Amino acid sequence: MMFELDQRIAEQLSTISLNSSVQVRCGNSNAFMVTASTMLPLMQMFEMGGVYISASRGAVEIIQAFESIGVDVSNIQFIDLVSSGILGGTDVNYPNIHFVDSPIMLESVLLRTLYILRTTNTQRNFVFLDSVNALAIYNEDRMLAEYLHTFINTFRQREVLSVILNVPDQTPPLVLSNLDLYCTDLVDRGQVVIH
Amino acid sequence: MRKNITFDQEDEDFFGQVGSFGVPKFDNEMHGGVPRGFTMVAFTETGSGAELFAKQFISPAEESENTLYISTNEAQPEIVRVFNKYGWPLDVNVRTIGEEYNANVLEKELLASRYRLEGFRLEDIQRLAQTRFVEDSTQDYLTEVTNEIMALGPYFRAGIDSLDFFLQRDDPGRVVAMIRMLQAHTQMYRGLLLIMVSVNGLPASVRQELSSIADMVLTFGVRTIGSDFETSMIVSKFRNAPENLKMLVFRVTPEEGITPETVERIA
Amino acid sequence: MNSGGLGELIAVQAASTYSRDRCVTGIHGLDEILRGGIPYGSTVLASGTCGSGKTTLGMEFLVRGALAGEACAHFTATEPSVKLLENIRQYAFFDMNMVDTGLINVFDMDVLYSWLGLDKSTFDLDDVHALIKSITDIVNTIGVTRLVIDSVTTLCYKIKSEQLIRDFLFTLGKKLATLGCTTILISEITSATENAHWSSFGVEEAIADGIVVMGDVERMGHLLRFLQVVKMRGTAHSRAKHAIELTPLGVMLTPMLKWGAQSDKASRWGA
Repeated sequence: MMFELDQRIAEQLSTISLNSSVQVRCGNSNAFMVTASTMLPLMQMFEMGGVYISASRGAVEIIQAFESIGVDVSNIQFIDLVSSGILGGTDVNYPNIHFVDSPIMLESVLLRTLYILRTTNTQRNFVFLDSVNALAIYNEDRMLAEYLHTFINTFRQREVLSVILNVPDQTPPLVLSNLDLYCTDLVDRGQVVIH
Repeated sequence: MRKNITFDQEDEDFFGQVGSFGVPKFDNEMHGGVPRGFTMVAFTETGSGAELFAKQFISPAEESENTLYISTNEAQPEIVRVFNKYGWPLDVNVRTIGEEYNANVLEKELLASRYRLEGFRLEDIQRLAQTRFVEDSTQDYLTEVTNEIMALGPYFRAGIDSLDFFLQRDDPGRVVAMIRMLQAHTQMYRGLLLIMVSVNGLPASVRQELSSIADMVLTFGVRTIGSDFETSMIVSKFRNAPENLKMLVFRVTPEEGITPETVERIA
Repeated sequence: MNSGGLGELIAVQAASTYSRDRCVTGIHGLDEILRGGIPYGSTVLASGTCGSGKTTLGMEFLVRGALAGEACAHFTATEPSVKLLENIRQYAFFDMNMVDTGLINVFDMDVLYSWLGLDKSTFDLDDVHALIKSITDIVNTIGVTRLVIDSVTTLCYKIKSEQLIRDFLFTLGKKLATLGCTTILISEITSATENAHWSSFGVEEAIADGIVVMGDVERMGHLLRFLQVVKMRGTAHSRAKHAIELTPLGVMLTPMLKWGAQSDKASRWGA
């Protein structure tokens, strides 16, 4: 399967540092392409390890999507916020998937991420949050804005790169303005359609 | 699951149909003695001489190794003293549960008071940190006694003085169930079993149950006449021999122990 | 930056502020909340609803102490020590060697009662004193610096009068403080909401030097564990609710989101 990555994202990422927080804006149709174009340089070019928080889809689906384009994500730890809500959803064979009961348990997500980062061997790590929009379904605007504030600052302080995926035209204004304010970098593919 | 026991004719001849009560005059009154296989329950009053009767019942000890005396109140030396006094055989099996119980409890209490007064020493603390469960201080004497009697062979002779110890510590229903089991065992093995139980504080229902299980029921009483005590025993149940139901007034003599003096038929 | 100026500033601060020596708990986040740890010799009441992580917190407190070479003691009245040790083995921070080498000493209260002849259902003054004496004896003899009693609720159920419970906790706390032992008394409570008591008998909270409350916040049908330091004598501390997670590495804490720190029910009914 031919899959074309957006190389300009890699170029842009090469300018950022570990204590950056990057807002990655995508549209409805290019979410996975943007995700892969962000994740791949982090893993392959910068040799980073990390945590992928999947709130929009089950982690298995994401892992399989990466596998379908020939990318091994076995050394990335996934925190799956979706599958616990589906009976039998947590019965999976991937040892790198961790489950949190629900996307409303935001603090648990943060603590689980910190726990994984404490147990990981890689020196340089990222946290990939997929996505603000999925969290916004379950969480009240003020709480989500507060959470993103804590989230970004926590990882910035620990020199862990945070990458936050966002479909801006569907994000509550309060959350979006806060995100714009706290993030140090912006990768904007929200309106761009490649071919 | 019924066990079939075959009895040797030679043994049958030796032991006979009845065994002695240990009191010759009483044997006579009971037309020879107590039929083999009988369980006797004796209801007793304090000071009625029943304790002596229990020991005297053990004294014929046809086979000393098959004879067992269980005392819950007296210590070994006290029992030996009485047996010596009357010249009864000393080679019977004696178990003094009261003594064992007291030793256990006292030892524990003594240790507890030492810990309370002097505190723990390092080795105590180390042992305490390693002890994961409370040592089982509640020894099940009832089961032990039952098993001990059940282990006796044919033509055994056993006495329990008294059942009060078990009734005070166990559920009476469990005690009665044990007696029922022992009665069946005694019958099957043609043994002789005497169980003493104090009437003071004994619930009527338990007394009724024990009476119905027993093949023979005795009641030991004491009353004052003028300045004298009169001790008596009443045979109020004797399975298949109502002619044996009697009231006997007895006294204790240094030579013969319990010695019936006057007899009254009550049925 | 003029480092000399900063150094002077620190010196001035150190001379004017007195801070008690701390028992550094080693629990992720807790020392931060306590601005360095529990003041030495304090008696801290860890009150929590069932499943809130009290026992784990208590055990981790001891293990972190043992890792630093301190002698620790745990008195368990709620579950047999065998079960306790079995449950705690799943945590990566625990090593059975700590028990084998005597750094962590686990005592079954039932065994202690039996040794002291406390077989009765109610304790009188003498019994209470015997209990205090034996606990302080143990602490003194093996030089325990960290102690956990799990739980003080179960223990106090045997003490019928409130006055006697007060005496017991007060005397015990005082003696343990003299011995330089920092103590966590685990207390079981049925509710950890704003209006609840922090202890079962009402007297423990008044006597304790510190109170740490553990409970659950219900958010849209999910229970989130929280920990909150309500009081801690001898130190400034955060009084905010913190979310906690029991991980194989031990308890982990993070401040709870302010907009989600109240149970739905509580906010809805204004309780």
